[in-house]
Amino acid sequence: MNNMYTFDTSTLWAALPEIFLLSAIVVVLLLDLFLTKPFKQATYYLTQISLFITGVMAFNLIDQPQTIIFSGSFILDNMASVFKVFMIGSTMVAMVYTRHYLIQHALFRGEYFVLVLLSVLGMMVMVSGYSLLTLYLGLEILSLSLYTLIAIARERAGAVEAALKYFVLGAIASGLLLYGMSMIYGISGSINITDIANFAANADLASRETLILNFGLVFLVIGIAFKLGAVPFHMWVPDVYQGAPTSVTLFLSTVPKVAAVAMLVRILVDGLGAMHAYWADLFMVLAVLSIALGSVVALMQTNIKRLLAYSTISHVGFIMLGFVTGVISGYGAAVFYVFVYILMSLAAFGIVILLNKKGFEADQISDFKGLSKHSPWFALMMLVVMLSMAGVPPFIGFYAKFFILQQVISAGFVTLAVVAVVFAVISAYYYLQIIKSMYFEESDKDITIVAPMDMQLVLSINAVLILVVGIFPDFWIKLSLSLF
Amino acid sequence: MGSEQIIFYFLSFWLIASSLAMIFSRNAAKAVLFLVLSFFSVASIWILLEAEFLAITLILVYVGAVMVLFLFVIKMLNIDKSTLRAKFAGYLPLGLIVALIIIAEMMLVLGNAQFGLDVMPAPARHGADYSNITELALQLYTTYVYPFELAAVLLLIAIIAAITLVHKKEINRKQQSISEQVNVRAKDRIRIVSITSPSKENK
Amino acid sequence: MLENYLPIVVFIMLGLGFGAGPMLIGYLLGPSKPDEEKNSQFECGFPAFDDSRMYFNVRYYLVAILFILFDLEVAFVFPWAVVQSQLGWFGFIAISIFLFLLVVGFIFEWKHGALEWE
Repeated sequence: MNNMYTFDTSTLWAALPEIFLLSAIVVVLLLDLFLTKPFKQATYYLTQISLFITGVMAFNLIDQPQTIIFSGSFILDNMASVFKVFMIGSTMVAMVYTRHYLIQHALFRGEYFVLVLLSVLGMMVMVSGYSLLTLYLGLEILSLSLYTLIAIARERAGAVEAALKYFVLGAIASGLLLYGMSMIYGISGSINITDIANFAANADLASRETLILNFGLVFLVIGIAFKLGAVPFHMWVPDVYQGAPTSVTLFLSTVPKVAAVAMLVRILVDGLGAMHAYWADLFMVLAVLSIALGSVVALMQTNIKRLLAYSTISHVGFIMLGFVTGVISGYGAAVFYVFVYILMSLAAFGIVILLNKKGFEADQISDFKGLSKHSPWFALMMLVVMLSMAGVPPFIGFYAKFFILQQVISAGFVTLAVVAVVFAVISAYYYLQIIKSMYFEESDKDITIVAPMDMQLVLSINAVLILVVGIFPDFWIKLSLSLF
Repeated sequence: MGSEQIIFYFLSFWLIASSLAMIFSRNAAKAVLFLVLSFFSVASIWILLEAEFLAITLILVYVGAVMVLFLFVIKMLNIDKSTLRAKFAGYLPLGLIVALIIIAEMMLVLGNAQFGLDVMPAPARHGADYSNITELALQLYTTYVYPFELAAVLLLIAIIAAITLVHKKEINRKQQSISEQVNVRAKDRIRIVSITSPSKENK
Repeated sequence: MLENYLPIVVFIMLGLGFGAGPMLIGYLLGPSKPDEEKNSQFECGFPAFDDSRMYFNVRYYLVAILFILFDLEVAFVFPWAVVQSQLGWFGFIAISIFLFLLVVGFIFEWKHGALEWE
């Protein structure tokens, strides 16, 4: 009787990055408790080291054959490994920027780093989740950490309000997602993605199975659209981006998008790929609305975080367009767009953080006035980021948009592509506005950059990458395509 | 109609009635109490479904702990009822339309044609020796061991989050240090200063 | 299966009867002549002079939420206790990891001073 349940420990290597990260979290959490004030910086370095080792472990798992362990609830494939490495890399970059912000605004607390590590763990669980239950748990681990990170500046009314809004809307979205999952489980009898995929592939089109799958699918799409911040489930995005401390906004607007896209791929492409015709219609509406609203409403913003929030919404629209195509090259284009978006968003928020000083929160567009006089180098970097976001060649943002539109047109949605291009041109206006205020307007404030050298260096590399990868995009495009 | 069905309809009636009462009651504290009643009804229905452990957990955790926390929060928030109602009326038409559409959809999709007993037969009843908690546990700690450990991570985050958001680290309270009290010596407490009395010199 | 609950139902009914019956009888048979003085509050029940809603320290809330978390933890340990002989070492390790993570949370709580009252 005792040996009834033995566990094959030889398969645990597939989850090694997660296991290591969880152990590292425990160490960082406990160590931070016992560190005295002068050594608090150690938490930051320990966080970076933990992330780095986890990243190396995930990197070593690239090109391993697809492995499904834990009774089908965990998958290791190339997409999981590449996404994990990318997420960890972006988190490390984000942490470099974050430290400057936290020190300037007296928010440097050990829990901040622990919560970031925990949210990375949640995202890794999501990326490797191969059952509805693990996907949901990963999402909740991520969301709970993010709610807390936003509210960590609890003396600021704006931050608490943002956290509360995000929490309430996030709870509703989780509820909808769970309801959709319960419908899928109710009809297919399984929460494993493999079983659901088999069931959906064999379901008769006019049958009751398809009806229920479809019904559940709508709720799943709503839940995912909320997490991505697609219109009309975008209400939280501008308020949360504006209210949260900029370092949290930086993190929130970048890495979790990878995890959300991974969840989308796991549920909708891997699981309900047979139902593509149904969810592609929903995605089309969401994508067009997101691109349109994100581009138009951003024109009226004066707050740079709010502006970038609307810009995110429009980028999310482009990512969703890639999934409308229903072909592997289209999905690859969407993943490429995610990589590009994160590279650009990291740099954009990085420069916003760069301007922060003790007691001065640089979050207005007018704070960029005359940046070219005071710091020509970073004005140039911001110029690169803005042009790339607007989709001007030869920057990487252009290739991302181009690649998506190419796929959309070859899938036969010419009108869709035209609409997307029109709104992309409109959105170029507000990116140019920032450039104008940097180069052609005089500053009424004193702009001195107090950021440490490591941040300036990483930020410069980040921005230069936007140009370099833009000139040689082949590797990234091939990598994105190889994931499906 | 068997006795089981009568019990089911009785419990379902109370579930729906208390849920409606919860939504429509103006007083938040009363709404929580109606929610407790609907949790009880759900727990009873779960017992009908032979899920005894879950039913008891629902009552212990949700009714016993979470609802008390809700009452805490409601007492703490001091909600002004009149402003709430003014906004409620403004959103009512839109809300009603959305609600009606969703109800219509649900009735179309979740009706007897899809989940009726002829398409989805009822599971067989178990004997008196059937233990729900054993069945659940044998699954939870073997097949679902990965989600189970993730649940622990989730609880850990909740602990960290609650303390990070609520607790202030700067401690100002006065504390008793027992080891210091025991180890104290007379010379730490009393300082003997030799003072030459000025009055004597004068005389 | 369901008929096993009959004793419980009988027990509940008897309990309800014992509680409600005498009160009902008293209400029906006893004389009732209320006047203003009789209906007014007596001794400690002085008239309410304040709203029942009041602000209290968020610290109470912290204690309550920490209690719920460990309450949930116990809910997870119960099923394990029932089947631990069948699960053997595997189940033991699974629950050990689970408890370890919660203990880490507890150490955090303790060391942070969240359990102390100012």
